[in-house]
Amino acid sequence: ENREAMLNSKSNRLTEALEEANRLFDGVCRAREAALDAQFLVIASNIGKEKASELHSEMSAFDSTAFAEDLLTFMGINRTEVEETDDSEDAPGGFLPSDAWQTMGEEATKYFRRAPTFHYMMGSFKSEPPVPKQRIERQKKASRGKAERAMPAQLKKMEESHQEATEKEVERILRILQTHFENDPNTPISFFDFVIDPNSFARTVENMFHVSFLIRDGLAKIKLDEDELPIIEPTKLSGRGDKDNRAGARNQVVISLDQKEWK
Amino acid sequence: QVSELVQFLLVKDQKKIPIKRTDMLKNVIREYRDAYAEIVDRAGRTLQQVFGLRLVEIDTKRHTYILINNLPRAEGEYLCRDKEKEKMGLLLVILSFIFMKGNSVKDSESSPKPPPMPHFSFAPPPLTPLFPGALWEFLNLLRVYPGKQHRVFGDVRKLVTDEFVRQKYLENTPIPLTDPPEFKYQWGPRAEKETSKKDVLNFVAKIQGKDPTFWASQYSEAEATP
Repeated sequence: ENREAMLNSKSNRLTEALEEANRLFDGVCRAREAALDAQFLVIASNIGKEKASELHSEMSAFDSTAFAEDLLTFMGINRTEVEETDDSEDAPGGFLPSDAWQTMGEEATKYFRRAPTFHYMMGSFKSEPPVPKQRIERQKKASRGKAERAMPAQLKKMEESHQEATEKEVERILRILQTHFENDPNTPISFFDFVIDPNSFARTVENMFHVSFLIRDGLAKIKLDEDELPIIEPTKLSGRGDKDNRAGARNQVVISLDQKEWK
Repeated sequence: QVSELVQFLLVKDQKKIPIKRTDMLKNVIREYRDAYAEIVDRAGRTLQQVFGLRLVEIDTKRHTYILINNLPRAEGEYLCRDKEKEKMGLLLVILSFIFMKGNSVKDSESSPKPPPMPHFSFAPPPLTPLFPGALWEFLNLLRVYPGKQHRVFGDVRKLVTDEFVRQKYLENTPIPLTDPPEFKYQWGPRAEKETSKKDVLNFVAKIQGKDPTFWASQYSEAEATP
């Protein structure tokens, strides 16, 4: 009771209470009263500790009211305008702008080593810990997502439409290759003749990119001819096509082409 | 297993609620319990090397973990949503207040005047305290009121006593033998890991346009704490 009164640093109430307790203790002869006395001591010592810590802060003169004022200033309070509203910023002494806490937050983030919250950029998954099977798929998507994290946010939208365009292109190129071979089954095409667009370096690179899908999926293959130049031909898909492809050698090759070479 | 755990931790960390070891065992490690320590170890290394994050155990009894940022704070853009930023602003203000006031402040809101206890008799003139030692009274000065819906923070009381406490930024513990029970606020283990007394003192100094050494005892305490 009257804890606040005792905490007042100017008050001697705590001392008085202790003295009174001392006096009362002489009259104690039952266990229950002794227990009460013990309780009192605990409370008194807590209060004593609080008082001491209040004194402590006073020694270092931390003025919380001034701190609050300075914080408001930092947040951009406008002290000249008189506000005439219903609103939550009702106190006299100024108008706090709506981005006040934004400003504060901007500064605050510098003081925390907070782990950025993890979100998928491609954002289509729910983030609950899933059933085991789904997790494997999520792994792949996650690693793709991570690699693209460096990309600015706008590209997100473009990527998605690109995927379909790519597949269409790949199909188109496959058809061209197949058509050529139907007409002329024994002449493989020179790889470079096939991909290079004499008018556009960018297109050339794109063509190579699409062709690489065909190779990866086993729909076409590249060999070296007698002159050690690469040629490309579609693979014959017989009934057991898949098995055959697996038996064949699958190699990874890196082809580089720069503008000078292309010219 | 390791990459599954890494992913699990990253997702769990979104809400900033500490992750329990039992959850890790149940959802990810399962059959590989014996290799648990090794898996966690490797996951920690991956998090550090790939993401620059540190996996820290904040409760060695209950085995709960948090992720913190290992990288030095970069100047400039910090990728963070607005809502998050505003909360961090409020949090920093609260943490500063607590530290400057000696590491512990009362939750003044939860202590109505207690009924007089019969054993001790005092003659009290009831003081009406403006208690700058207490948290909510300080926040009131910033136009933040526990009972009132705040334009930015909504239910502020909930944010402070519930969210910040669950995330372990703050700790709200009862003061012994108070009746009805009164509570005090202190820094939580996440706050201790994610920031430091020194940083916070620098913040206060910046806001008030003074040198941190102006507050001698807080300064020496801050220097003494790693």
